[in-house]
Amino acid sequence: MKTLKMEKNVLELAESINQDLKASKDMGLLKCGQCGMCTSTCPAARHSDYDPREMVKRVLEGDEEVLRDDIIWNCFYCYTCHSVCPVNNSPCLIIQILRQKSIDDGAGLEKVASFLAYGDSFLEFGIGSIPHDFFDNLLEDFGDGWLDLKLNLDDIRGELGLEGYVLPEKALCEIKDILEKTGFKERLDRIRRFKNEANTM
Amino acid sequence: MKQIPCKDILLFKSCLVSVEYPGIESSTRYLFDQLGIEYLVDERQSCCTGLGHYYDLFDQFSTTALAARNLAIARETGHKNMAVMCATCYAILKKACQTLEENKEIRDKINNIFEGSGMGQFSYQRGDFDSRSNIFHVAEILYNQKDKISNLSRIDLSSFKMASHHACHYCKAHYADTLGDVRDPQVIDTIIRSCGAQSLEWYDHQRLTCGAGFRQRFTNKDLSLSVTAEKLLSLKEKDVEVLVHMCPNCQMQFDRYQPTIEKILDTEFDIVHLNISQLVALASGADPYRVVGVQTHTVPVEPFLKKLDIDVDLRQKNLERSLVDEERSLVDEERSLVDDGRD
Amino acid sequence: MKSRALKFPSKSDVNIGVFLCRCGGNISDTVDIERLKSSIDAAVVEDFENLCSVKCKKNIRDYIIEKNLDRVVVAACSPTTHKKTFQSYMNPLNPYLLEMANIREQCSWVHSDGEKSTDKALSLTRAAMERVKHAQPLTPIFRKTKKSAAVIGGGISGITAALSLANQGIKTCLIEQKPTIGGNMVKIGKIFSPEKLAEECSMCLLNPLINEVVRHKKIRLLTNTRVKKAERKGGNFNLILEKKAGYIKEDRCTSCGNCVEVCPVNVLDDWNEGLMMRKAIYKPFPQAVPDVYTIDGEHCLKCGKCQEVCKMGAIDFSMKAEVIPINVGSVIIATGHRGFDLARRPEYGYNRFENVVTQMELARIMGVNGPTKGKLFRPSDGRIPHRVVMVQCAGSRDDKPDGKRYCSKICCMVALKHASIIRDHYPDTEVIICYTDMRTAGMYENYFKYGQSKGIRLIRGRPGEVTKKGDNLVVRVEDTLLRETMEIETDMVVLSEAIEPSKGTVELSKILNVGLTEDLFVKEKHSKIKPVNTDVEGVYVCGTAQGPKDITDSISQANAAASKVSELMNGGLEIEPMVAEVYSARCKMCGTCIDVCKYKAIFMDDEQIYIDPLACNACGACISSCKNQAIEVKGQTDDQIFGIISGMLKDKRDDEIRILAFLDGVGYVAADNIGINKIPYPESVRIIKITSINRLMPKHILHAFKEGADGIFLGEYPDNVMYASIQEKLQEFKKKLLENGIESRRLMFYKVYTPYFRGLAAKFVEFHSEILSLNESLDHSFYTPCVPES
Ligand code: SF4
Ligand code: SF4
Ligand code: SF4
Ligand code: SF4
Repeated sequence: MKTLKMEKNVLELAESINQDLKASKDMGLLKCGQCGMCTSTCPAARHSDYDPREMVKRVLEGDEEVLRDDIIWNCFYCYTCHSVCPVNNSPCLIIQILRQKSIDDGAGLEKVASFLAYGDSFLEFGIGSIPHDFFDNLLEDFGDGWLDLKLNLDDIRGELGLEGYVLPEKALCEIKDILEKTGFKERLDRIRRFKNEANTM
Repeated sequence: MKQIPCKDILLFKSCLVSVEYPGIESSTRYLFDQLGIEYLVDERQSCCTGLGHYYDLFDQFSTTALAARNLAIARETGHKNMAVMCATCYAILKKACQTLEENKEIRDKINNIFEGSGMGQFSYQRGDFDSRSNIFHVAEILYNQKDKISNLSRIDLSSFKMASHHACHYCKAHYADTLGDVRDPQVIDTIIRSCGAQSLEWYDHQRLTCGAGFRQRFTNKDLSLSVTAEKLLSLKEKDVEVLVHMCPNCQMQFDRYQPTIEKILDTEFDIVHLNISQLVALASGADPYRVVGVQTHTVPVEPFLKKLDIDVDLRQKNLERSLVDEERSLVDEERSLVDDGRD
Repeated sequence: MKSRALKFPSKSDVNIGVFLCRCGGNISDTVDIERLKSSIDAAVVEDFENLCSVKCKKNIRDYIIEKNLDRVVVAACSPTTHKKTFQSYMNPLNPYLLEMANIREQCSWVHSDGEKSTDKALSLTRAAMERVKHAQPLTPIFRKTKKSAAVIGGGISGITAALSLANQGIKTCLIEQKPTIGGNMVKIGKIFSPEKLAEECSMCLLNPLINEVVRHKKIRLLTNTRVKKAERKGGNFNLILEKKAGYIKEDRCTSCGNCVEVCPVNVLDDWNEGLMMRKAIYKPFPQAVPDVYTIDGEHCLKCGKCQEVCKMGAIDFSMKAEVIPINVGSVIIATGHRGFDLARRPEYGYNRFENVVTQMELARIMGVNGPTKGKLFRPSDGRIPHRVVMVQCAGSRDDKPDGKRYCSKICCMVALKHASIIRDHYPDTEVIICYTDMRTAGMYENYFKYGQSKGIRLIRGRPGEVTKKGDNLVVRVEDTLLRETMEIETDMVVLSEAIEPSKGTVELSKILNVGLTEDLFVKEKHSKIKPVNTDVEGVYVCGTAQGPKDITDSISQANAAASKVSELMNGGLEIEPMVAEVYSARCKMCGTCIDVCKYKAIFMDDEQIYIDPLACNACGACISSCKNQAIEVKGQTDDQIFGIISGMLKDKRDDEIRILAFLDGVGYVAADNIGINKIPYPESVRIIKITSINRLMPKHILHAFKEGADGIFLGEYPDNVMYASIQEKLQEFKKKLLENGIESRRLMFYKVYTPYFRGLAAKFVEFHSEILSLNESLDHSFYTPCVPES
């Protein structure tokens, strides 16, 4: 049996989510009627044990453990729930915020570590690229045609009359500068430290 | 209904279009030229962060700051109407634009970064943009030209069964701005019909996501593919031959993984995947290899082209022709050198 | 009937009698009555122990006659307590020539310093004297409205209202745009009865009422008719109606039905929700009233076949639409609702799958006079379904842009009713209701239990989609109690569609200039205390035009609306004459005031601007808006306001602070409550009762400062429709003060509420010390607010 402690402010988590930069204006989190419409159309709920309604419930109950629960990483960010929720709540945005909190908290670091190279590439080229760790798997699924594309991209673009997609030097400096000042670089470094530690363990 | 522009457009480059389906961009540009839509592509524009953003690698603040820079480029060049080819760009730009408009604290913080680094020209002033009336998807621009599109159509598509996949980040993320009904946006379908093809009124799982789910494709492949497969099965049941897209990420999910899913399920889908710009360009007689870019597709488009009586050896011929051209130009060059020498 | 003021003696040449009350010590223990008496200069000054006791009535009257008094001032308790009493002492004088000074609640009960409270009592009395000099004799307005009404909409609400009016002797015109009356109630077949735990036949209940309507001498029934135009004329309404050409002479048609057989046109039968076909010449249902055939002009080919077979010669294609003007005293809107268009929820497959129907369609399917004569069947193949899944809240309780935010209120009961009928007659058919909440408030809970006991299955979850797999429909839902997403296979789905205002409701409201809610239902004047009034005086509303409700509630509301109308007509109404009035001679008919008045009291008919005394709240906002000074509020003329201000500030000492507090009715009662609870506040505060801050103009405020006021306190109850213009007023006052070199802090606004009198008292104290510090920061010898001569 669970005891609802008197002193606990259950709404703390919900309120901090409502104030998050990612939250939509007037997000109906506190108005959720647990109707389950989100779940009934959710792809992740159809194909896994994930349940957006329950996620909202846990947030409303102030259950901080949800940040460390692997299940939050199952959402597709497809916004279906967001587009149908009758009280304008958005499990989709809530999960995005929970994951950010989980990263801040440390638990989520491992979940983004695998995409570190994307960030590095963004800092360098102003455009992200799929990390090499995934490349082999993709190649296996996508076949040699895809490899050809990757190898001959410039020629194919030329064939289509398209110029190169690399940004000019000055633009790259600007982007790098901006991402350093927004704290993104530091964020990547934090993820990198975590990744290195995990590897040496 | 919102006003859709036909000039002062910044055609917003998309990373996935650039490296996976560049034909979407060449088709869009081709159509914009045909339709007399005035637009610009700016090499300084950065990627929207989309894939990294929804992989949770990026934070909202950094994404917003980069969007501010891209918006500033649009403003500076006098092309304040953004037209995106990718649904992720659409959702990201809209959200960033709304934040910059409504959240003074964030706006000031970002402007401070710009001003403190000699990039004051990127500062965002309230009222610079309106996320509803300045940010569009290319499909919306085409939708607005649907009558002209039916005049452009040269190829008879009437016997084909097509269906639309409206990208989630277009129709659901900012649902108040979606053209038509959020629950059944007929944007792509209307354009398909303008090209003379049939588009399914409705199919089961019509609203279902493609399955990419950003991180799911990479880290949760089974979950990801079971969603994609579910949608493909439903399309197969309706004998759909072409699934028409508006987002390179969805297109990748279906086009690149379809053979894999066929293997897993031991079935065949016979579904070709085209972006709406690619379809319209094809219908209006554009070259499949020099404009539509079918050569980067995983599910071969050639069988479909054959049914349209389009010469599938065109690419080879193109290549040969361009070699001949190249030689000829070399010869020309030599000749002119000789001519020059004569003077 | 207007209280046109005669020019009456005013100013200095009047004889005023001042009567002071000791109130058995309540006043005289604090206020020095002797000093008060000797300081007043009037034709008569007398004091009494208990002025309200009956014997004083004669005393006062004797003085009035003997001393030839023109005006009377009573300095006693609050006018709220005894003004009516003292007005009745005024005979032979006009009762409105009385003014009261409130020296008990607003003086002796809140101050303890004898000296200061006597000073204050004196100035309160003098102010009353100044004001009464400008008083005019008034007579109550007696309004008698034309004894006739129009009821628009012939559903159960309209029928009920019309019958009630007619039975009270009021000539009533019942207007219905369809060819027949009865509305939705005749269509639904069965109605739920939570008392009897049964379903009753709606036609059996309704038919006698319909027949009564037809027979009633006081009711004129106009079907196929709609309102085209409406105009307020004096206290009445001119309506222009248009009656569609029905091509049938109603007095000839015997309803034999020969014509139907020969008509070649087949169209979907809208009365049966399009579930079957009918001809272009038709009668919606056998018991239809009026009992005549009608021709659907939209689809009729005018081939003349019916004309050939009609033995009565009742068919006449030369008939034209008829324009009918009527003039009535009141209008009742009973235009009802319609079902939510389920095309807006494409994911529920309503337009895609034949076996997905609405509750209304299910009602027709199961109606004995419906397409199957009452048999349950699947529209696709006419077979009895094995399972019926009902989807609740389809379109209701949905904040999304195209949804209805409200609960449609009836659909839980409707679903239970249909489920119950199905379970009774088709025990092999399973019924599942997918719901978010089952809303069966009050006694309806019994009916819910009754339904449950029949084995209706309930799944708690709001379905997201309805689709088809193979031969079966599939409902996708999460059973939220099991935490399980599921697909329910079924062969019939019934959507409990939301209800929304009918098109006619919205159109008619525009024509009558009646306000709508955000959801486009007719807005009642006050949901608690004026539930059937609209914001236009004389126009009432009932039934689902006003909001979702069931038959029981519609009927009670219809009766309420009818009795409001009959109050107007049978009682006649005596209205306090203190309302706004237009002086036609000065009025240039510019119409500016019309939009200013949110009570919609002002309107223009052909010849003049007219202010409906019933609708007017005497707030005075219109006065400020009128460039031609053509409007006056009786009992609150400029002269009276200037008079009382001057009186309040007379004989102010140099070291004294005086604050004028203008309070509206609510504020004044709150101030009296401060007195009753004996909560002290500074003597500097002098309260003046006004109807609203909207009555005040910058000239009044500046006048007060010029006469020596140190501060002005404005208090008003904020929850009224004119509150927005109060805010504008305040800005205007502040600006004017600034222009005249007066600190804007000397003007204070406070929202008053009757029970929060303690807050008001605290504000008085706070404002007093604010003024004190403002004054101290000035060099007193130089302090004269610089107000221009006005
Ligand atoms: S988030 Fe919305 S859709 Fe989901 S359970 Fe809550 S109210 Fe229902
Ligand atoms: S955004 Fe996430 S929670 Fe919402 S429907 Fe899509 S997968 Fe489910
Ligand atoms: S009455 Fe019941 S079904 Fe109808 S809207 Fe209200 S809760 Fe939903
Ligand atoms: S006094 Fe007020 S309520 Fe009366 S007519 Fe004027 S504005 Fe309307």
